[in-house]
Amino acid sequence: MAQKYDAIIIGGGHNGLVTAACLGKAGHSVLVLEQRQILGGAAATEETFPGFKMNTGAHNAGLFRSEIIAELNLRNHGLDFVESPVTAFAPQPDGRFLTMWRDPQKIRAEIGRFSEADAEKFPDFVRLVTAITGVLDDVVTSTPPKLTNNSTAELFPWLQVGLNLKRLGKHDMMEFMRVLPMTVVEFMDEWFESEVVQGVLGAAGVTGSLQGPQASGTAFVMLYHYLGAAAGSFKASRFVRGGIGQLSAALADAARGYGVEIRTGAEVAQIIVDDNQAAGVMLADGEQISARAVVSNADPRRTLFGLVGAPRLEPRLMRRVRNIRFKGTTAKINLALSNLPRFTCLEKSKIQNPKSKIYLGGHIIINPNLEYLERAYDDAKYGDFSERPYLDAVIPSVLDSSLAPDGQHVMSITMQYAPYHLRNGTWDEQREALGDKVIDTLAEYAPNLKDIILHRQVITPLDWERDYGLTEGGIFHGQMGLDQLLFMRPIAGYGQYRTPIDDLYLCGAGTHPGGGVTGAPGYNAAREVLKDLKR
Amino acid sequence: MSQKYDAIIIGGGHNGLINAAYLARAGKKVLVLERRYLLGGATVTEEIYPGFKYSVFSYVVSILRPEIIRDLSLPKHGLTILPLESTLTPLPNGDYLYRDGDHFRTLRDIARHSPRDAGAYDDYSREMFFMAKAVKYMLGIIPSDPTSLNPKDLMGLAGLGKHLRSLGEEKLYTLTKLMTMSAADFLEQWFESDPLKATLSASGIIGTYLGPRSPGTAYVLLHHYMGEIDGAFRAWGFQKGGTGAIVDAIAGAAREFGVEIRTDAGVTEVIVKNGRATGVVMENGDEIQADIVVSSLDPKRTFLDLVDQKYVPDDLLTAIRNFKIRGSSAKINMALDAAPDVACMPGYGPHLRGAISISPSLDYIERAYDDAKYGDFSRRPYIDMIIPSMIDPDMAPPGKHVMSCFVQYAPYKLREGTWDEKREALGDAVVNTLSEYIPNLKDIILHRQVVTPLDTERLTGLTEGNIFQGELSLSQLFFLRPVPGYAKYRTPIKNYYQCGSGTHPGGGITGAPGRLAALEILKDRS
Repeated sequence: MAQKYDAIIIGGGHNGLVTAACLGKAGHSVLVLEQRQILGGAAATEETFPGFKMNTGAHNAGLFRSEIIAELNLRNHGLDFVESPVTAFAPQPDGRFLTMWRDPQKIRAEIGRFSEADAEKFPDFVRLVTAITGVLDDVVTSTPPKLTNNSTAELFPWLQVGLNLKRLGKHDMMEFMRVLPMTVVEFMDEWFESEVVQGVLGAAGVTGSLQGPQASGTAFVMLYHYLGAAAGSFKASRFVRGGIGQLSAALADAARGYGVEIRTGAEVAQIIVDDNQAAGVMLADGEQISARAVVSNADPRRTLFGLVGAPRLEPRLMRRVRNIRFKGTTAKINLALSNLPRFTCLEKSKIQNPKSKIYLGGHIIINPNLEYLERAYDDAKYGDFSERPYLDAVIPSVLDSSLAPDGQHVMSITMQYAPYHLRNGTWDEQREALGDKVIDTLAEYAPNLKDIILHRQVITPLDWERDYGLTEGGIFHGQMGLDQLLFMRPIAGYGQYRTPIDDLYLCGAGTHPGGGVTGAPGYNAAREVLKDLKR
Repeated sequence: MSQKYDAIIIGGGHNGLINAAYLARAGKKVLVLERRYLLGGATVTEEIYPGFKYSVFSYVVSILRPEIIRDLSLPKHGLTILPLESTLTPLPNGDYLYRDGDHFRTLRDIARHSPRDAGAYDDYSREMFFMAKAVKYMLGIIPSDPTSLNPKDLMGLAGLGKHLRSLGEEKLYTLTKLMTMSAADFLEQWFESDPLKATLSASGIIGTYLGPRSPGTAYVLLHHYMGEIDGAFRAWGFQKGGTGAIVDAIAGAAREFGVEIRTDAGVTEVIVKNGRATGVVMENGDEIQADIVVSSLDPKRTFLDLVDQKYVPDDLLTAIRNFKIRGSSAKINMALDAAPDVACMPGYGPHLRGAISISPSLDYIERAYDDAKYGDFSRRPYIDMIIPSMIDPDMAPPGKHVMSCFVQYAPYKLREGTWDEKREALGDAVVNTLSEYIPNLKDIILHRQVVTPLDTERLTGLTEGNIFQGELSLSQLFFLRPVPGYAKYRTPIKNYYQCGSGTHPGGGITGAPGRLAALEILKDRS
């Protein structure tokens, strides 16, 4: 076997790179193996059409943890963010539109156009959301406790969480416990009467899951997306200058600075396990590399079934891994545009380019109300993609002209629901029909869209699985349902980034706290691996 | 103003009566006031059609707490629960799934649909048995307030923690899953055949406004596993004489302890003086005084109707207004000229003494829910049907039968029209659905009573006709039931208590809220 490293990281997604950099920084010899030619996994920027830099997977870096940026000095490695003054722009079927500004005062006025009562409640709503996310903030960077037999040291970070919770006072503390398991519909109904406001604020609750807004736990997923959001703005939202791939590039650069070795085009075929202990990896070309610790950025099922092999697990754990719910449900449509889409509602309000440009710098949300979203889910529940889909589109080139040729643009549209398991046909047959559905839907609001498309890329759940290695196309490496969080993530009993195989760790979104470009799983995993490497 | 009582209980449902019995047993002078002409609330038997006794609302029993049965000597007062022997799930293709007391026969029938499921069935049953046992502990305790530093709460939490730890890691994980998953997801971990998954999942949706794929329904499933008859878990039974006879037994026990019970005695208001409840005002204007007033009504009525809202703090008012209490079920009771003939199992047989469940697949139930989500009743509803007269011949004249059909979904709030307009259309939908499986049904119906959620509300006073006095969702359980800060049967008004299903541990004929409330009241008085 070739050279021995302290740690091998399988997968150069953003979480894998965070783990690598943190381990490298602590003085360990680290090797990152990425199967694709580019780094970043589902947080990559690719030139899928000449001259256009596309965020093929994730595009929003609003959730990325500031402590990682500071600790790895990422700003010195080329990381820079751009923020739109508009976080969300939601055109409505009736020709109205709701704009969420970064400035809370402006949001309040904007909501008032739909409901004065809602506008009045908005500051209180923001206060509650801030209180809850304030507590969650410490939760996401702490290793989940075990249910039994915790050492004091393991519980220590949770003392802080408990204290923060206590500090909220009785009322907010109860609200914290009451709201998180709620449905987004109930949560929104308690606060707002305008269905437009409900639709825009609540939509984040279904991100990445095959669940409608009437599913309990969607309030949690919604609040998760508000972590680190500016007070009152529509979820946490900011883009990386040069595309989200620049975040991965900065991470890789920082890692290399700490001596981490990174190889692309290096597909791991197998994790070498000797007597229930990970000893290294074998690449697809047969090369074997040994290491003291193997850390997988791949999702838990792919890691334990695909790379280790199900027979190596005892049946009880095998069942648990098999039962992880992935149920991919998200599709992505990336477009190269010759011009900006012109939204009818803006034109009618006499807001034209260049003034209209400001509205298109954030998220463009097509979700007129929560019932629309629930109906979109109904289709998927029985194995069809949504007839009337929920769309979350961004045009990052509005703020960052380096992404497309002069005057031209890149647009990324996240679509729900596109279930991995189709009732009729395969995704290879349905891919373009899905693309058409999304374009048709958006064109109802921006009729010139079809004329300005230079190139279109449709990524279905099957493509996520094939090209990005995401099991069942689950973008979160496992749904963020209440039963798959904290000490239950990725599987019950293994919430501490360790696995049933000694010296094999997980550091991807399938571990606590979950999906999105947060870096938190990678950051937490590094802490645990370091503890063990010290021994 | 005449006599003065130690306690007045508003509402003569099973929880109100159990509460009264426990208070009287401790020596209190207790008066129960029931608005209707008969006791029972949603636990009543009425002869709606001459000669035929309908269990109008609640129709089966299993989760009545054994300590209550013992403490109140209910068998002595007429509690006789006859077992429901089987569950038959007829399928659209003429096949069926039949589970009964013969364990190996049941396994063989499950195996016809899926050998794998037959293999998993015993493990599943054992797991649910242990889980129900684990959770039952919580049915018997007062929910501690986790935000409080009060020693009692800390002790309570420590006790709960100790109990949970004693379950061991594996069981705790399963419990976590049951608390958070959907019934469908949970069952899909075990089984693959649709009739089995669907029929089992139905226990997860009863009384909720959720589908089997909605997270949280696995807990409701577990809630229905906590039944216990003579020590046998998951046994459902039928009270001889109808569910009303259960209440008669409880009332009998209460009277023996000296409780005074008045029917046709509606209460309009709780009298509050200097922040304390001092008595009640009756519909006829009479006032009756008492040291304590206990409401067995649902939280909305307890806090919004019975007391002047100036006595209720703002945050509690908001919380009560936000309390989810959506009605979702209906009941169809029928008088039949002959025994129904089930196409998949023709003729007279033991299957008629059990439940017949119209739940052929998960998608079937989920689609029934889809209709209701948008404010229609299910065109093809989930129906749980029993024929009480097969179990207890006294329920109907010789040779004739009564049939109880529990129906979901029938949302209280209809998108179009009113329930007064839609009542018979719902009845038709149910009869039509049943007729697909019971071809002779339409020819033998002598009388049909359709109880919509609106009717349940009008007759029993249950807001929105919600049979659990508030949904059993995670944000409305334990220390959050009915609302945070008021989960221990008390209210912001001194000497005014709550004891209905809207309090911990929730709905069904358990009696637990009534009993636990009485224990708390007695603690305050000692």
